[in-house]
Amino acid sequence: MCRQWTREHRGGVPGRSVVRGLAASLALLVAVLSAPAPALAAPQLVKISGAGSTWSSNAIDNWRRNIQQRKIYVSYAATGSSDGRTQFTNGTVDFGVSEIPYGFQDRFAGPDPRPPRSFAYMPIVAGGTAFMYNLKIGGRQVTNLRLSGEVLTKIFTGVVKRWDDPAIKADNPGLVMPGRRIVPVVRQDGSGTSAQLTLWMSKQHPGLWDAYCAKFGKAAPCGVTSNYPYRSQDGFVGQSGSTGVAGYVGQSNAEGAITYVEYSYAINQRFPVVKVLNAGGYYVEPTAKNVAVALTRAQINQDRNSPDYLTQVLDEVYRFTDSRTYPLSSYSYMIIPTAAELNITEDKGYTLARFANYFLCEGQQQADVLGYSPLPKNLVEAGMAQVQKIPGAPKADIVIANCNNPTFSRDGTNTLAKTAPKPSECDRKGSRQSSAGTGGATQATPVAAAARCAGEPAAGGPTGSNTAGGTGNGGTAAAPSAGAVVDPDTGQVIGPDGSAAGGDDGAGGGGGEAVAAVPVSLAGTGGWQLRHTIMVIAAVLLLALVLGPPLLAQSLRRRRGGNGWEAS
Amino acid sequence: MARHRTAAAASSVDTDAPRRARQRRTPSDLVFRGMSRTAGLIVLAIMLVVGVFLAVRATPALDLMGWRFLTAQTWDPGGGVFGVAGVLTGTVLIAAVAICVSVPLATGAALYIAEYAPRRVAPALVNLVDLMAAVPSVVYGIWGFFLLQPHLLVAGDAGEGLPRWLTTYFGWIPLFKVDGYDPRDPMANATALTSSTFIAGVIVAMMVTPIIASVMREVFAQAPVGEREGAYALGATKWGMIRTVVLPFGRGGMIGGTMLGLGRALGETIGVYLILSVVFVVQPHILQNGGGSISALIALRYGDSTPIGIAALMAAGLVLFAMTLLVNVIAGIVISRSRSGAASEA
Repeated sequence: MCRQWTREHRGGVPGRSVVRGLAASLALLVAVLSAPAPALAAPQLVKISGAGSTWSSNAIDNWRRNIQQRKIYVSYAATGSSDGRTQFTNGTVDFGVSEIPYGFQDRFAGPDPRPPRSFAYMPIVAGGTAFMYNLKIGGRQVTNLRLSGEVLTKIFTGVVKRWDDPAIKADNPGLVMPGRRIVPVVRQDGSGTSAQLTLWMSKQHPGLWDAYCAKFGKAAPCGVTSNYPYRSQDGFVGQSGSTGVAGYVGQSNAEGAITYVEYSYAINQRFPVVKVLNAGGYYVEPTAKNVAVALTRAQINQDRNSPDYLTQVLDEVYRFTDSRTYPLSSYSYMIIPTAAELNITEDKGYTLARFANYFLCEGQQQADVLGYSPLPKNLVEAGMAQVQKIPGAPKADIVIANCNNPTFSRDGTNTLAKTAPKPSECDRKGSRQSSAGTGGATQATPVAAAARCAGEPAAGGPTGSNTAGGTGNGGTAAAPSAGAVVDPDTGQVIGPDGSAAGGDDGAGGGGGEAVAAVPVSLAGTGGWQLRHTIMVIAAVLLLALVLGPPLLAQSLRRRRGGNGWEAS
Repeated sequence: MARHRTAAAASSVDTDAPRRARQRRTPSDLVFRGMSRTAGLIVLAIMLVVGVFLAVRATPALDLMGWRFLTAQTWDPGGGVFGVAGVLTGTVLIAAVAICVSVPLATGAALYIAEYAPRRVAPALVNLVDLMAAVPSVVYGIWGFFLLQPHLLVAGDAGEGLPRWLTTYFGWIPLFKVDGYDPRDPMANATALTSSTFIAGVIVAMMVTPIIASVMREVFAQAPVGEREGAYALGATKWGMIRTVVLPFGRGGMIGGTMLGLGRALGETIGVYLILSVVFVVQPHILQNGGGSISALIALRYGDSTPIGIAALMAAGLVLFAMTLLVNVIAGIVISRSRSGAASEA
């Protein structure tokens, strides 16, 4: 049409071009009117926005990028679950994403009432709250740390303060833990991840958690909170957002730090996560399959009339005795509007529903790769039914079987959970420890010979660069690897139990075994020393040298000048 | 005509008073006056509305806490106890660090651009400094989090950098002490030196330096040519001239620019939010992990949905607003009283 107009303006044969132009524009008009004529009242795709959880934001960001090719533009601000719920309540965003529903009694953040607007919950993805850590033994990153739930609770409540605590040693028979302080890194903003962790602690280890809360003036039972309480003088560090805590722990200066984030963040940072001891007696990693197994025991609210329809109760997940269970598994929820009120229009509802239908169906295929776990069939179906409540939602014509969701099967059971492999015997609680890496750090960590697992090859081997292997026999005064501390008097490598370094060294000479050198702290050489005195003297001399001559000259001149004044 | 008439009227009076000058304004003058007056009044009104809004919204919190709001070292609106003593101190400390770092930087940059830089290069340098002011603070925050902190100030697992050096050799000064960190212990966690008031202050310094530098550059450039040449004529070197003419002339502008930078530093939010581990107790050790900032606190806790929590944040905002206003008013007074400032005002 535009071209026709310009051509007309340019002139030529005016009559003909006008006729042609009119005909073309008429044809265009007809085409515009007739083609979508039945859908004239149909809703349009508009931009929608959401805010909330950082826990599930890696998945949401991926979905919203993928759906842009269908001209659906979704903006999402990962500002924390608490903020997402508040913004949804106020109507400043079209949907919220939160780990926990409204209405939890939070002792620190205060009450969190349900909003007066109408809304519904819809599960979007499953995942595991992982414990990402930055720890080195003898300059080599540890990737196979295992901890029991009680020790984790003790770490995050400040009871266990050092990595060489006997409780941590008991969980890790194959590692020589360094004598370094533990730095728990927690979320300082209102966070659903904090809520998931504190919920688990309050249910599984209420004594420890309540004792910690009591330090902040809260009476037992303390329960769940989104605002993790901490004090910096206890060695805790607060950071904002999952990216903040994961980024902090991933920095080279954060050795000794541990934090809680969704598994995907550890994968993105290429950092390991803690294998957590489950009720079945195995240490497991929050892989998609282990999360799927655990969540078969999640109790989902099935009362369609309840405002909390589809929300989760995880008590049975924490206690599930299947050896493949990851205990801190949970679902993440989207809070969707169910009425055209506040800023919600039919167009926005239509767009949101199409986005939701996409990620509930095809989007779930990517969950595993991203570090999450796909939803099982019953929740996908329930979620799709919830989508229908959104004003302006298109009639669902999605054949769920075509979604290629890895959890689906013909008989309705969760395929992913069914096919999940049993954990290796090396991961069973006991005297053996697997050397395999976890999370985003897949390189193995050598374990002590006594704890080495039968099925596994000796990790490290000749390629291990940080080993002291082959440097000496029988633990004589071998040149230690980087980070090892040599007793200045005896010239021996010092280990916490004396034998650790020396004994392994001998074996290392023969079999090329990786040996973890163990730095330990010596009695301090602090205080004022001779070199400090010399430094001060040097500084004073330098000052005198720089300032002395001009000052001297000035005072001499003044005296001479004064004499001259008197003389005149 | 009008003038003649007034002159005549004045002469008829016995006393020898100066005549009253009457000004006739053209319509365009009147319109312009009216517009600029309205604009000025609107700015004032907005300030007033912000202050009143904060005060009204903060009332529930201030009623609950009273004067203890300024002394309490905790933040627990759910439990009904909260106060800004810690975060207020932290805000001031961060701003102080920022000023200590940025003023020498800005003075040097401004002097170089105004006095030493070759004619051809100077405009480019001015643009560069202005560009620095245009960088969004979140970019400075991310830069600080991913580059400055882990690679320059607290580098590697030993935490090599200026904070470590300061606490090693000046740890005996309470300000530079780091509790629970022994720099001589190879197993000491470098995390004790991260997320501190100092690092947050250095990042804020990067944001306020261009503001201070451009104010200083303006006043240095205004130093009277006659006096400069007088100084040269008396045999002064370039530095001697700067020391005796430019700097004394620009003192007011330097102080004013510093105060403007201080005002900005007090209110800086996102860069601090990304770095600092916010604590609510008074933390006088600037190199130690944990610090306070009112604006970062507001950004952090705005998601709290309870009415009293919001009121408490508003009260904190009111304190910050009052303090920033005070700093800016003082800056204004200092600038207008100084010689260079008076010249620029006129």
